[in-house]
Amino acid sequence: MDGPQLSWYLALSAILFTIGVVGVIIKRNVISMFMCIELMLNAVNLTFVAFSSFYRDVTGQLFVFIVMTVAAAEAAVGLGIIIAIFRNRESLDADDASVLKL
Amino acid sequence: MISSLLFILFAGLAVGCALAVVAQRNPLYSAISLIGVFVSLASLYLTLAAPFIAAVQVIVYAGAIMVLVVFVIMLLNVEEEEHRRPRLAYLVPTAIVLGAILIGEVMFVLSSVPRSPAQGGLSDVGLTEPIGVGLFTKYLLPFEITSILLLMAIVGAMTLARRTMGLSPVARVLPGTAVLAPDVIDPLDRGAGKPFEMRTTAAGEQLYGIHAKHDDD
Repeated sequence: MDGPQLSWYLALSAILFTIGVVGVIIKRNVISMFMCIELMLNAVNLTFVAFSSFYRDVTGQLFVFIVMTVAAAEAAVGLGIIIAIFRNRESLDADDASVLKL
Repeated sequence: MISSLLFILFAGLAVGCALAVVAQRNPLYSAISLIGVFVSLASLYLTLAAPFIAAVQVIVYAGAIMVLVVFVIMLLNVEEEEHRRPRLAYLVPTAIVLGAILIGEVMFVLSSVPRSPAQGGLSDVGLTEPIGVGLFTKYLLPFEITSILLLMAIVGAMTLARRTMGLSPVARVLPGTAVLAPDVIDPLDRGAGKPFEMRTTAAGEQLYGIHAKHDDD
């Protein structure tokens, strides 16, 4: 067979998702954790596009469109939360924000 | 054959940039590496014959979201992470073990996917027109719900990022507040040269605790 197979894309997506999970676990900076979450979203998007392209169904790409919209909304709200945390605690460390009460 | 080479090139670039996102200690370098991941994924979408999604990926992710992230990094002036506290030293081996387990699980699940579905020849699935048709006919309800979600995100972001401590003594009351409380703000007190400055009346200060800037103090 010539050309990349569907399983190649799925394996790449799994690798990217796992890197994102590991980043969320080991990172301490809230912004870095946020970026790792974006990485996981992109890994899932790659799965959607790969299935959509190989099965010739447009639904997967519509899902990617909606996931991107949700990611944009998440970025706006998440960065607002990050700014609020920094304003209250003078720190971006996730361990410093382990309790809701100041 | 050239598509395999392209896949290997961009997949390697994506994985390398993703590892750099996790490995970098400075969040700004992580953000730059993440842009590399987004661009290489957009290139992979192009090889998958999905040009619309590739363009949206670059515009929305690499353009809008990462600009927002970099803006916040600059705004908060994040310094590099200092040395890890000893309490959290166990997290790195735990993360590696959990990552290995996760990737094994995902590979096991994905191995049950059919080997080679129909692929060959050009398809117009990824062009803009089929996506638009699907978005506005069959999936109209999710599309509209998305718009409500965006509205909620706008309101939520403004509410979260706003200063809620009350007005500082030198704060100036903006004209929009006069719409909300016309009886406690004296609109006739505007100076001619300062159109955006209003003075609150004594009743307004009692009601809302607003201490606007007075000319005589």
